[in-house]
Amino acid sequence: MKKLFDRVFDGADEMYALAEKAIEDAVAKLGENTPLSMPNTAYHLANYLSYTKRQVTTISELKDAFEEAKTWRVREQNLSAVFRTGFGTFMAAETIEACKYAKSADPYEGNYHGHLSDAEVRELGVPLVTNDIPGFVVIYGRAPSDEEAVDIIKGYQTRGIFVFLLGEIIEQARRLDLNMGFPVRVVAVGPDIWQVAHIISFVNRAAMIFGAVQPGDRYELDEYTFWRIHAFVNVYEPVSDIVVACGGGAIAMGFPVITNDEEDMWAVPKSLIIQKTTPDFIETSLEARDIKLKITNVDIPVAFSSAFEGEIVRKADMRIDYDGSRFDSFELVRMAEAHEIEDHAIEIIGPDIDETPEGERLGVGIIADVAGKNMVKDFEPVFERNFHNFINCAEGIMHTGQRDIIRIRISKTAFDAGFRLKHIGEILYAKIMSEYESVVDKCSVKIYTRPEDLKTLRAEANAVYDTRDARLLSLTDESVDVFYNCILCQSFSPSHVCIVTPERLGLCGAVSWLDAKATNRLNPQGPCQVVTRERVVDPEIGIWEDVNENVFASSHGNLESVSLYSIMVDPMTSCGCFECICGIEPFSNGVVIVNREHIGVTPLGMTFPEMASMTGGGVQTPGFMGHGKHFIASKKFMKAEGGSLRIVWMPKALKDLVASKLNVTAKELYDIDNFSDMIGDETVAEDPEALMEFLAEKGHPALGMDPMF
Amino acid sequence: MTFKREPQVFGASITEVEFGTEGASVVFGGANTLPLYNFDAQAKHRALVGIEISDKGPDRSLPELSAFYSGAESLSDIASRACTAPGADFVSLVLESADPNGDNATSEDAAALAKEVAVALAAGGKPVVIQGTGNVDKDQELIPKVAEALQGMNVLLLSAKEENYKGIAVAAVTAYGQKIGAESSVDINLAKQLNVLIAQMGIKPGSYVMNLGAAAAGYGFEYISSTIERVKLAALSQNDDALQMPSITSVAEDAWAVKEAVVSEDDFPEWGPREERGIEMEISTAAAALAAGTDAVILRHPASVKTIADMVAALA
Repeated sequence: MKKLFDRVFDGADEMYALAEKAIEDAVAKLGENTPLSMPNTAYHLANYLSYTKRQVTTISELKDAFEEAKTWRVREQNLSAVFRTGFGTFMAAETIEACKYAKSADPYEGNYHGHLSDAEVRELGVPLVTNDIPGFVVIYGRAPSDEEAVDIIKGYQTRGIFVFLLGEIIEQARRLDLNMGFPVRVVAVGPDIWQVAHIISFVNRAAMIFGAVQPGDRYELDEYTFWRIHAFVNVYEPVSDIVVACGGGAIAMGFPVITNDEEDMWAVPKSLIIQKTTPDFIETSLEARDIKLKITNVDIPVAFSSAFEGEIVRKADMRIDYDGSRFDSFELVRMAEAHEIEDHAIEIIGPDIDETPEGERLGVGIIADVAGKNMVKDFEPVFERNFHNFINCAEGIMHTGQRDIIRIRISKTAFDAGFRLKHIGEILYAKIMSEYESVVDKCSVKIYTRPEDLKTLRAEANAVYDTRDARLLSLTDESVDVFYNCILCQSFSPSHVCIVTPERLGLCGAVSWLDAKATNRLNPQGPCQVVTRERVVDPEIGIWEDVNENVFASSHGNLESVSLYSIMVDPMTSCGCFECICGIEPFSNGVVIVNREHIGVTPLGMTFPEMASMTGGGVQTPGFMGHGKHFIASKKFMKAEGGSLRIVWMPKALKDLVASKLNVTAKELYDIDNFSDMIGDETVAEDPEALMEFLAEKGHPALGMDPMF
Repeated sequence: MTFKREPQVFGASITEVEFGTEGASVVFGGANTLPLYNFDAQAKHRALVGIEISDKGPDRSLPELSAFYSGAESLSDIASRACTAPGADFVSLVLESADPNGDNATSEDAAALAKEVAVALAAGGKPVVIQGTGNVDKDQELIPKVAEALQGMNVLLLSAKEENYKGIAVAAVTAYGQKIGAESSVDINLAKQLNVLIAQMGIKPGSYVMNLGAAAAGYGFEYISSTIERVKLAALSQNDDALQMPSITSVAEDAWAVKEAVVSEDDFPEWGPREERGIEMEISTAAAALAAGTDAVILRHPASVKTIADMVAALA
């Protein structure tokens, strides 16, 4: 078997020989001093320019340049020699083409596109750089059949990929009258492999125009083509050496080559891929070049808009009722490896809606498998929680609950419009792929309706939920490397910054550490940024130098320091969206917490709005602090001042909400049983005297603690 | 005790952005002191004053404005006349006709108009600002077309927003070498985010300015002024290089759209002539925006242009 490197070198020799002949012929016919240029470009012969800095304008200059190109062809058994030879092959190819254009301004007479003008480079370059065109493919050779040729071209077209065609596939497409041309994003470049020079010229000019890559700067050029030009190559068998030589150049630029030829072919991961099943070229190619397609519409037979989010499907109108309260049901997002998932596969296991009698109640299980290079397991629940919003946006579909207590109702109208279970899959696919595009590369959905499947799968789902809950419990401020900030509220509270940690969620209650992390990954320039916590000043009060630096910068200089675990020393500021306010109650050495919903007065003699006026606006008010409801049971709540033991009063509704978790914390930290029973509420006291009486009676620990100031 | 003068000069400065062609170009930015604090250090460049024209022509119901443009019928005549307004550093063309909620002219037609005006302005020695329609979808198509039509003229194109910055930035700046304005709506963080995103498209500082939003004085202007001020402070005192682009404020559209500039003298005789009121709205808004720290203002009426230019010169 011939070595791949040798195939490149032999192929390059063939191309160079052709180029040599082309020059000799041009000199003989036109003379050495004949001007030579490609039409409508300011970049001369762009491949020569970008590789050698030479500005070729006459046949004799081309001759000199070609002499230099010959030095690029080095038969050495190493990768850099192969890559250099690949580039040399492109210069040789450009030489052949330039000689054609020297003889005629329009050598292809409209049959093939040939050279691309600078205007075309700009026109195509802009959407390529902005990703509005996700990438381009170069297809060379003869597809197994004319029909398949058209299928693959159309397949790329429908995915928004720009198509350059070289060789016999052009005739195949023409036989079936495929519409081609720049506007439809399919360009028949030329009949031979050496017209590849025009495509490479396009790439090199794009790098010079859009990447400001200087001629001769190989490093920058390679960086640019690898990171910014999302191109790849499909070649049908048989693949000759001269094509392999060009492939070497393409791979050097970061463009993977996908072929069905096994003869003397050596697979190189991510670069040279053998795919015997030609109809799978598209899928294989997109994955190899990491191209993600934009999902713009949700393919379902009913309307899809947030306007339908709150819509209720009543019993009389429902075609089917998937009821998780009576039948095994669940929804689950699982992270998987890319190769385990067939993108956009939607599978219904069990009877669909039309195979179920009208008005029937039963169970349903939905599993979405996702994969992505930037995906992390912690995002599973973040996506899953949004199933509710996604599914609800479909007209005539109602979704409530989460995990294994879901309910989905589908109205008769939606059913009559053709809505089936697979459309739930379509909704989830489209929304997951578009909302989380920066972390999800592939997604598939399975929907189960058979009771026996649901029983086992629900048990499996429950095991996953348990693992996640355990993970949440194990997430402590000490166990993570970084915190996040959140400046979402700065539009109306310009100097406020939240520092979100695993044990201290945002004061609005809506941004947990996991949410902030997900927001940061999904939108790296967005409102949540990484805050390192490396230079510790005081772990008890919660002061870090790097946290302070971040707070200073992100509050635009308004705040200099914040302590995360104290209400007295530089407490965290509030925007005004806090769920709760905590304030010092001086008689008991304790604190009172009041939630936004509570309308009565607190033992401090103030209502929530009155306390809010002292707390919001991004100012630090020692003794007052805004926070989320779930912070109350945190072990970090006012840790510097003695923790949750200081809580002496809460509205009853709030106390009931947090009691169980708060009792666990109190038991664990202070060995106190049923701590919440010691906390007063509006039913026992709304003034300090009555409260003190109650606390004394209960033996509240705060009474024996040191004064807070 | 004697007064000791301590000039407040920052270690950071606003990036300079130049637009226009040789002999007809202006530079803004460059300052390293607070706005108009020329007593701390002489600013490198004066704040710029631009005069706005529309491709639908001036409002000829205003007597003074109509007199200024009298005899100028074609768009290029109007543009040439605008060049003669005393104090105008540049001319800003609004492509109003392309607005999808109005005449909805095609991007190609609007770009052709822009070309016509740009040629007239080059002859008149004034650099060009082109304002799009403000409609994100239309501008996404329109601005690249204009950028292409005006290749080599180094014009400033307003504006790229969060929804359409990618195509506009890459086409206008990278492909056709123009300057752009990054428009955000009255929020320092959104302004910064957009600047960072534009930088990530490979656009270098010096190629774009900020358009932080606009409102007429008395109509929520305090949000604008506080945003401009905070952006400038962050740029200078914190050396935040993602906020060091100069800013441009389009005063004309808002100033001429508020009640004071719209209702007729017949309805409110005690308010006096409408034209005078509009001019005053422009002047008070522009003066306040400059005091807050904007580096360029766009005004519609030659009288406002002259007054503000005189003010800038007097404080220089």
